[in-house]
Amino acid sequence: MKKFLAYPVTRALLALVIIVILGTIFNADGAFFDWGTHRDMLRQVSVYGILACGMTLVIITGGIDLSVGSVLGLTSVFFSMLSIHWGWSPWVTIPLSLLLGAGCGMISGGFIARFGLQPFIVTLAMMVFARGMAKYVSGGQKISNYLQKPDGSFENLELPAVFDALDARLLGNNVTVVSVILGLSVAVSYLVLNRHRYGRYLFAIGGNEAAAALSGVPVLRAKLLAYGISGMFAALAGICQAAQEYQGDPEAGTAYELSAIAIVVIGGTSLMGGRGGIMLTLLGTLTIGYLEKILSLNAVGEASRLMLTGAIIVGAVMFQRNRAN
Amino acid sequence: MFRMKIAAMLAACWVVCLGAPAADKGTEANPWVIGMSQCNLGEPWRVQMNADVAKAAEAHKNLKVIFKDAQNDTLKQRAHLEEFASQGVDLIIVSPKEAAPLTPPIKKAFRDGIPVIVLDRAVLGKDYTQFIGANNKLIGEAAGKWVVKKLGGQGNIVELKGLMTSTPGQDRNSGFRKGIEGSGLEVIFEADMQWLEPNARKEMESALARFDDIKLVYAHNDPAAHGAWLAAKAAGREKDILFVGIDGLPQEGQAYVAQGVLDVCFEYPTGGKEAIASALTVLGGGEVPQDMVVPSRYFTKENLKDGGAALEE
Repeated sequence: MKKFLAYPVTRALLALVIIVILGTIFNADGAFFDWGTHRDMLRQVSVYGILACGMTLVIITGGIDLSVGSVLGLTSVFFSMLSIHWGWSPWVTIPLSLLLGAGCGMISGGFIARFGLQPFIVTLAMMVFARGMAKYVSGGQKISNYLQKPDGSFENLELPAVFDALDARLLGNNVTVVSVILGLSVAVSYLVLNRHRYGRYLFAIGGNEAAAALSGVPVLRAKLLAYGISGMFAALAGICQAAQEYQGDPEAGTAYELSAIAIVVIGGTSLMGGRGGIMLTLLGTLTIGYLEKILSLNAVGEASRLMLTGAIIVGAVMFQRNRAN
Repeated sequence: MFRMKIAAMLAACWVVCLGAPAADKGTEANPWVIGMSQCNLGEPWRVQMNADVAKAAEAHKNLKVIFKDAQNDTLKQRAHLEEFASQGVDLIIVSPKEAAPLTPPIKKAFRDGIPVIVLDRAVLGKDYTQFIGANNKLIGEAAGKWVVKKLGGQGNIVELKGLMTSTPGQDRNSGFRKGIEGSGLEVIFEADMQWLEPNARKEMESALARFDDIKLVYAHNDPAAHGAWLAAKAAGREKDILFVGIDGLPQEGQAYVAQGVLDVCFEYPTGGKEAIASALTVLGGGEVPQDMVVPSRYFTKENLKDGGAALEE
């Protein structure tokens, strides 16, 4: 048993199992046993999970990316504006939005890798800047298909099909498209981290940056890549958020970075860098998702919900701490 | 001799500077200057308030409005009031972030002779020219009565509440409960969605999973009602449920009504237009009542073209 529990992945799995068992006990008159509940849980948590994928790469290098929530807001506005107001094709708007996100991430990554600035400060600055830009681009209003014309009257534009397509369900109404996108994000992150030499580089940098540099790891490029991918995932999450709200909200994603970090840490990836993995993050995503779903199903009041969430996060991290240390 | 000339010139300047503007202030060439301090432009409703003020002021060439945004920072807003006073504006419109810390600076400006119109959130005491606000309790009650009438007094309701630690959330809740009192309506599921649409959608999914019979959703703001509609649509149940929202911004609530998402939305008026009307009266030397409740309207698909209908008493 002790040996079994020594693996972070089994501990993360056990935490998830405990939460699910709690769900079967507090099942809200059987609603928990409905597949629809689980499908909806996966939909809700997808945006957080996608952010957490990028966050995992960055945290493995020993860094942090606080800007993901704001970049999500910025790209949701940008994507909605291009798609709804300008009527551009999704084949153009999606790549452009992803590039915008990657650009934001790489600007942060550039300052961090090239000038050795603290990731906390640089991404905090990007968080403020991107939020400002989201408000500037949108004029502080939500970008929806209800457009105000210069004379003050309103025009009801056709909602682009891409919004419905991204908010749709597949496989006989059983899986949402955004959950599939989460799955693909996890798969891509897995390939980068476990099947590509850049993944090795990220672990090496997080373990000991000086040693990694001396052994020929291209530290600058690897860090740029990590923050760039994190920005790109934030943009992807922004597109999913916009599709689910049918609009671009400049306030979208406020404080989402904290949920993403909580997911990564509950999964078992070390904030010190060098240890962790994307499968842990997937388990962390499900744990947080079920936790929120169970609290919501049972209509737990706001005050107790916040206290319970805080207590359970600390409990999960305690449970997850590396016992070798 | 030379000194006397200088003194005479200075005296002449003084007379011109002080006397002349007062004589023909409020003309197109020399407009009245109004300072408008908004506590937080991060909220669409407050963006709308500024737009309402700007639109109403645009029609009057003898007015000039300076807008400032305190970015949800009390001390910044306090600085706005001091800046306006030292700039010598003719009137201040302020929508304060919170009452206690902003009462002293508002009081000071008012006692120094600058008329102050307070919008939406009241301050303590009576040291201001006019307070203009809407009444959330009455709006919630009107929503409750509308629901009773619409559903014939029978049915299960989901209530998606705003932040229950905020006054608007509490008032929209208690007003609605008063409105449905004595009817056969029952609130079977209630949750705090903190004014946020994604949260509202999440809570509505839980309600849909638990209850097969839901007749109506009462949401404390329009985005939440929209989120609830999205959840119901995903479950294929949006046709069986009525959706009621509050705020009624043109690009949110009214748009949702036009699109057939909401069945009704109740306006929470910004008072921006009324503030400019009062400002003109005050600057022209007239009197205004110290407290003013802005009448609210409600929008349904039928009355949207006519700009909504006034709440029934």
